[in-house]
Amino acid sequence: MELLGNILYDTVYHSAPIILCVIGGIFAYKANVLNIALEGMMLNGAFVSVLVAYLTDSITVAIIAAILTTLLWGLVFSFLGITCKGNVIVIGLGINLIVPAIADFILKRMEIANINLQSVSVADFKLNIPFIENIPLIGKILSGHPIITYLAFIGIVFFAVLMYKTRFGIYVRVVGENEDSAISLGIKTERYKYAAVLIGAFCCALAGINLSMERMAMFTNNMTAGRGFIAIAAIYCGQGKPVASALYAILFGVARSLAINLSVYAGPASGLFDIIPYIIMVAVLAVVSYMKYKKVKVRGFKLD
Amino acid sequence: MKKNEKVIKTILNSVLPIIFAFLIGGLIILGIGENPLATYGLLIRKSLFTVKGFMNTLHYAAPLILTGLAIAITFKANIYNMGVEGQMLLGGFFAGIVGAYLPDMNSVVQKVICFGVAIVCGMIFALIPALLKAKCNVNEMVVTLMLNYAMIKALEFLTTGVFRDKGAGYVATPTINDGAMFQRIGTSRLTLFFAIVVIILLIMAVLMNKSKLGYEIKTIGKNAEFAEATGMNVGKKIVLIMLISGALSGMAGAGWMMSDQFKFTLSFSGNPGLGWDGMLIALLGGHSPIGILVAAIFYAALKTGSDSINLYTTVPKEIVSIIQGMIILFLAVKFIGDNTKWFARFKKKEEA
Repeated sequence: MELLGNILYDTVYHSAPIILCVIGGIFAYKANVLNIALEGMMLNGAFVSVLVAYLTDSITVAIIAAILTTLLWGLVFSFLGITCKGNVIVIGLGINLIVPAIADFILKRMEIANINLQSVSVADFKLNIPFIENIPLIGKILSGHPIITYLAFIGIVFFAVLMYKTRFGIYVRVVGENEDSAISLGIKTERYKYAAVLIGAFCCALAGINLSMERMAMFTNNMTAGRGFIAIAAIYCGQGKPVASALYAILFGVARSLAINLSVYAGPASGLFDIIPYIIMVAVLAVVSYMKYKKVKVRGFKLD
Repeated sequence: MKKNEKVIKTILNSVLPIIFAFLIGGLIILGIGENPLATYGLLIRKSLFTVKGFMNTLHYAAPLILTGLAIAITFKANIYNMGVEGQMLLGGFFAGIVGAYLPDMNSVVQKVICFGVAIVCGMIFALIPALLKAKCNVNEMVVTLMLNYAMIKALEFLTTGVFRDKGAGYVATPTINDGAMFQRIGTSRLTLFFAIVVIILLIMAVLMNKSKLGYEIKTIGKNAEFAEATGMNVGKKIVLIMLISGALSGMAGAGWMMSDQFKFTLSFSGNPGLGWDGMLIALLGGHSPIGILVAAIFYAALKTGSDSINLYTTVPKEIVSIIQGMIILFLAVKFIGDNTKWFARFKKKEEA
């Protein structure tokens, strides 16, 4: 029972940043500008928030700074990729390389290996929900998470509504599906693409803050460990649908939490458990893509 | 005349991003109170303008040329094979293991066996995303990225556990046999591995520009559906392209193992890794073999030079990684498009 509780709690815990990346990434995916830079943007949020909190001792300033700088990367991405019509995949990879390099550079200048926030205690971020926290098992799982974790799960619903029930969401999808007809309707396509990328940047900043400051009050370089790419895999699996994609993100959370909680019993082979989440993601992506592929009735080879 | 113009445009499109990246890098160096010109001077003086330094640069360029080719051949076909890093690590790892446990025999045979094992490893690892892409239309980029992480974790496990050299004071696999090592030429680090790389570069140049496969790669890259319509089996070709890419990456790993590292450590390919460097080189070289050669030497010079930055200034050598990232960022944008009228205007003036 204790183990089950731990596994479920960790599932919620590990899913949150990936869900945030997923719901941020789907708008860009739907607008046909694949945002590979989720990883770098998330790392930027993680790094800047902890760095600023370390320097200023103010969490509010830290969060604002993290969001603003990540939005700046979003602008760089959109300017080069949308206005200058560069290859978005290459731009994304460029950002993914620059952000850890900058973090490394600054850490070396400060002559520290990683930043630990002594003044911030992780327990302060944890939010206990009244009533629910008293229910056995469920209370332990649903309550006692940092705020952004709750925001991530609320965000699934919010972004699903935004994508399917509002004019903005419909326009973004039109821009992605058929840009020419969108232009013919008088939609300013570039503006919607920019908005889609910036939404992604904003969510990634939150994911980064959640990952570094709220959960551990520390930053080590490359702590995102491919979560941005896992989010992209989840988006591909869910074909950009908010709820479906988020479910795949949660699946990864389950895999990760199982790996962590069960590795205790595995002895020396526990190192291998880290591989499981990635393999599961590849397997799921393969199955989902195959199902989709089978339905395609067009003869011959089709790329995506 | 028209061809000349195209070449100039291609070169400018590669040189401009470098200039922009160095300008911004210079601003960062200025920002921390150092002299950018002096720093950049240090960066290239030792690595390009002394004989020994230049030979060292060539040594570092060797595996980069291979990973650059591995990326270029897939990018040219519009396949985003991000698994070069993982394929290279796997190849290097098993070349190291085989090289360490082989019985004493002829050194040429040992090297051939190591290369063979590494090439097979790289090809097997590249086969997974290739088959998934060809048979189930799975996005190869996501798969290769995921598998990279899985591979890094798996190799970490093997290095710290199963194959750990208990005698070493740190986490590493056993050192390979002397027979499997490439001997250094003179005092520099350059080995015969570079010569092998040049031969492979020539083979790849012929393959990419003069052979039927090279033409097919280009066609798939331009329009896969059209390629299929003309009767090409695109799925099969994608598998073939990925296998070549995997073989090249595996070879890069093996060569790096046998000419420089001699044992597998957790920082085998450095930061950001030979595979990622290969991507910069492929983009910088415009996916052409000659371009890749030049770009690899240029980048290796930066890498060797970054050590002297660390020694003689207070600028952290990570500045080179920042510059590298920015070069990639700017390379994504074509500053001078095919339709830029800049040259035409220039010519008209000349005529008048």
